[in-house]
Amino acid sequence: MQATFRIEGLGKSFGPYRVLDGVSLDLFPGQVTVLMGANGAGKSTLVKVMSGVHQPSAGTMTLAGQRFAPSTPAEAIRAGVVTVHQNINDGVVGALDVATNLTLDRLSGKGARLFVSPRRMRREAAEVAARLDLDLDLRADIGSLSLADRQMVGIARAMSHEPKVMILDEPTSSLSSAEADRLFATIERLRAQGVAILYISHRMSDIRRIADRIMSLRDGRITGTFEDKPLDYEGAVNAMLGRSVAVDAVTARDGGEPIFEAAGMRLKAQSLPFSLSLGSGEVVAITGLVGVGKTQLAETLFGVRRPLAGSMRLDGRGYAPRNTAEAIEAGVFLVAKDRAESGIVGDFNLYRNVSLPFLRRLSRLGVTRNRAEREAARAQIDNLSIVCRGERDMMQTLSGGNQQKVMVARWMAQPSRLFILDEPFQGVDIAARRDIAAKLRASAAGRATLLFLTEIDEALETADRILVMSEHTIVGEHRNERLDMDRLLAEVAGGAMKGAA
Amino acid sequence: MRFTRRAFSGMALAATALFSLPAMAQDMPAPFDKPGDVKIALVRYLSTGDFFQAYLAGVEAQAKALGVQLQVLDSRQDAALQADMVDQAIALGVQGIIIQHGLTESMKEAAQRAVDAGIKVVAFDVNVENAAIPQVEQSDRDLARLALEQAVKDNGESWKAGYVYVAGIAPLDRRDETWREFKAKYPGINEAAMFGTLDNPIANSVANQARSVVTANPDIQVMFAPYDEFAKGVKIAVDEAGLTDSIKIYSADISTADIAAMREPGSAWVATAATNPAVVGQVSVRALAMLLAGENPGQQVIVPPTLITQQQLNDNDIKNMEELSAKLPQFAHADVAMPAWMPNPNK
Amino acid sequence: MTDTLIRYGFLALLAGLVVFFSLATNGFASPQAAVFIFQSVAITGILALGVTATLVVGGFDLSIGSVATSAMMAAAYAMIVLEQNAVVAVLFCLAIGALVGLVNGLIIVYMRVPDLLATLGMMFLLLGLQRIPTEGRSIAAGMTMPDGSTAGGVFSPSFLALGRHRFDFILPNLVPVSVVVLIVLAVLIWFFLEYTRYGRMMYAVGSNARAAELAGAPVKAYKIWAYVISGMFASIGGILLAARLGRGDIASGNNLLLDAVAAALIGFAVLGAAKPNAFGTAVGALFVGVLLQGLTMMNVPYYTQDFVKGAVLVVALIFTFALSNQGRR
Repeated sequence: MQATFRIEGLGKSFGPYRVLDGVSLDLFPGQVTVLMGANGAGKSTLVKVMSGVHQPSAGTMTLAGQRFAPSTPAEAIRAGVVTVHQNINDGVVGALDVATNLTLDRLSGKGARLFVSPRRMRREAAEVAARLDLDLDLRADIGSLSLADRQMVGIARAMSHEPKVMILDEPTSSLSSAEADRLFATIERLRAQGVAILYISHRMSDIRRIADRIMSLRDGRITGTFEDKPLDYEGAVNAMLGRSVAVDAVTARDGGEPIFEAAGMRLKAQSLPFSLSLGSGEVVAITGLVGVGKTQLAETLFGVRRPLAGSMRLDGRGYAPRNTAEAIEAGVFLVAKDRAESGIVGDFNLYRNVSLPFLRRLSRLGVTRNRAEREAARAQIDNLSIVCRGERDMMQTLSGGNQQKVMVARWMAQPSRLFILDEPFQGVDIAARRDIAAKLRASAAGRATLLFLTEIDEALETADRILVMSEHTIVGEHRNERLDMDRLLAEVAGGAMKGAA
Repeated sequence: MRFTRRAFSGMALAATALFSLPAMAQDMPAPFDKPGDVKIALVRYLSTGDFFQAYLAGVEAQAKALGVQLQVLDSRQDAALQADMVDQAIALGVQGIIIQHGLTESMKEAAQRAVDAGIKVVAFDVNVENAAIPQVEQSDRDLARLALEQAVKDNGESWKAGYVYVAGIAPLDRRDETWREFKAKYPGINEAAMFGTLDNPIANSVANQARSVVTANPDIQVMFAPYDEFAKGVKIAVDEAGLTDSIKIYSADISTADIAAMREPGSAWVATAATNPAVVGQVSVRALAMLLAGENPGQQVIVPPTLITQQQLNDNDIKNMEELSAKLPQFAHADVAMPAWMPNPNK
Repeated sequence: MTDTLIRYGFLALLAGLVVFFSLATNGFASPQAAVFIFQSVAITGILALGVTATLVVGGFDLSIGSVATSAMMAAAYAMIVLEQNAVVAVLFCLAIGALVGLVNGLIIVYMRVPDLLATLGMMFLLLGLQRIPTEGRSIAAGMTMPDGSTAGGVFSPSFLALGRHRFDFILPNLVPVSVVVLIVLAVLIWFFLEYTRYGRMMYAVGSNARAAELAGAPVKAYKIWAYVISGMFASIGGILLAARLGRGDIASGNNLLLDAVAAALIGFAVLGAAKPNAFGTAVGALFVGVLLQGLTMMNVPYYTQDFVKGAVLVVALIFTFALSNQGRR
């Protein structure tokens, strides 16, 4: 079979840093090629070179036998190589309606008309939408759509160019499973139309579902190509990490006396009330699909929002924080989801990021004591093996995994009663994830630890006890020891399956 | 036909009205026989500051004395808006417009449109290059001349001067012409520095500049600041630099605050030449009224200035503009554009 | 090399300017000249320090110029019309500044009006408000009130001393009060922003408000306080303005606003900070002062000075955004 897209010996350096080092890769029509790579392996850079954002330092790309060297993203798109970016909002213009978004590319470039006829635009948009069976109100504002619908609009827009190659960069990272199902159906459709697809993901479940071939990228090089059926997933993971990963068996521990208790909790008007008890020294994971109320619960415990009903007790005393400051004061800490948006202070260096919540304790008469701050940060750098030059590094210079370690370090610098982590392994490579999980388990004595995790594998790796959330309530509980995987999966899927059943 | 009592009394009323109206406005030519129907508009470019406030008071006083309706449109130093406001005034159906300051370029065509619409127009301190539009001027040349003559009288014919000037403002440009004439006439006058700014507060900005100038040129004897905001700034700088004894300030224009500043003990601000802005306002309305009545006020209506010295202010113990008008009668009224029928608002 | 240029470029440029003007003009290199350069930037500098506080929390305050001129009018009104003493006048002004800042903050934080729009609205509101009590007249001793009576108050000598008194320093009667106020406020706000946890939190709020909130900071309160600081600094500027001019002048204060914002933005470039900072703001104000006073001494006309001011700002912004981002990569 003739490759649609061929990369040969591609190299890319930023100053002294060689990010891609002789990558060769073929994409075939009607095939989904999955590219796996840990954080910092060079996936994003490869995508940017392919989509015309960066120019390669070495090597060539060919598209359908022609040399392909786009100098701008627009040029790449015109040639037939389109990219759906990880950040969904990059693909759509929030202020415009669906129809305008679908036909946006016709508003600029050669041959664009000066005047916009709304009717003609909607007709064209309807054609574009029909090609993907997209059932959306074309007059709706993008801002009113769900993330998944926005992404569909982004893909549909990309499809209107009739691409030969489509690159999807971690497209499911913010989708619920029903939404992901729709995405996969779309990918099937594209595959059937003979588009060559490069699919970049961390998620094994996605990869198992759609991969025709797997290529592993490590340190800017392709370290493995797997195309014989059945695909060797363990081999691919191995090639990606460069070491054999055995699933660490957790020895489940029982919690001590309860530290945190909640009764009659309700997060949403129609949801059923639930109770929760977290004991001293145990690590509890709450798992469930995206959008079932995990983050609401985390924020409720941390005083960002208030429960609709129910009462909470911490160490036997009533606990009803009105704001985050009161929660912190009571010893309830939260490592929030999405570190870039709600964790990292970009203008601050590492040690100032670590000291942020506990400045009061680190200052005297309101005056900060930099020496104490830096000592505290250095202790955490050692504690969590954060890879950096020193405590004064700016956050942008750290890799994603190390940034996340800093976020965890921020809250581990002081003892807590209830330590909550919401999706702490998001965008974190496996090595960093292992480090964080091990540290959490090692330090768990004397506090209750609560994790919110969408990935069941992550929960299995870290927790003593796993609770399942569905439709804003807790629907199942498992001790992480020979647990009944089928029941757990059924509970996770429960909410989503109800309609179908 | 029978006269009912009601019809009769109605007729009687009408008759009274018919006979009495011309009788009342007997000495006023049309259209001022029915002054309540006359609408005039004042279209302003500059309005911030005491001068403009007093000018407006003069306009209002004369309009009241005539009994006409006055509409004030203030563009706040927006040249384009000022031109639009002329059109707005045309749309409002006014019979007369006073254009107060502005830029020749932006106002020339707007003024022509007003003239074309049959509206009488006078312009104060802006040259709209239109033969049908009389120019009301506080004679800036006379202002500068009076102040500079006093400077020569006080300091002799040769001295080192600092000069405050910003080009492009019509009255300042005219005052500048006189300054140039004086420098030509008296070669002993040596202009050591020229500076100026209209950054507001103007006095504060000018004070900062003047500090630099007097530091660089400590031998300056005379500061010619032909605009009172400039003079205030220079005075602050001279006070701050401790040079009150060696520098004398000559300026143009006056206000209550200026009087206080001139009368401060040891003040370097010794004289100013001023036209009473209220009088200029009155004259503007009077010139417009003459046009409306079909009389010709002349192509240039010049309001003569008065020289006011620190000495006079101290001798008469003048503390504000009202006392200035009261104690210096030449300042309170100008016999310009005063036909016999014109009511004098000062009486 | 680039790093050194970014860090010390602007300070070197400032030193170069001082040397150049000292050689090129008479009298530039003297204690008096140094002091009056400080004096010429004292008021805009104080305003700039205030606006720096709002920049730190990621906001902006366009109302500072009009707060300053309103405070100037208020001081004059308190003394001349209401015949109050200096202390009352000063407190009155500070209260106005704090109130305006509080209202700005509440509108921005609770009504969610974008900062530029809220403070722009406040600017216009104040421009009108400052004219209402006197019907558009400037306030000076002996002024005629709208009802025809004459105002009986005077500027109290102790208030005027704020603008005219000079402290002995090296030479007798050298340093005016406004310069001392500038330096004290600059040191205060610098220490507050750099070395207290409140200042640190304000930077955190400006950089990532959600992260700061999740770290327990009362984000709304910090934002409101920033506007209160800005308002109060602006009113202090207005008090000094009134004391220097000795009257209440009707003025928009737009030039004060523009110069203050320019100083704060130039401050981004100082020491390669690439963020609002009090030391940079003070240096930025000084830079503009040195440049303008030097050029005035050289008899350069005012419009050239505006051009130069703008050019400095553009260069400073290039320093901040282009060079320091490159250096960071």
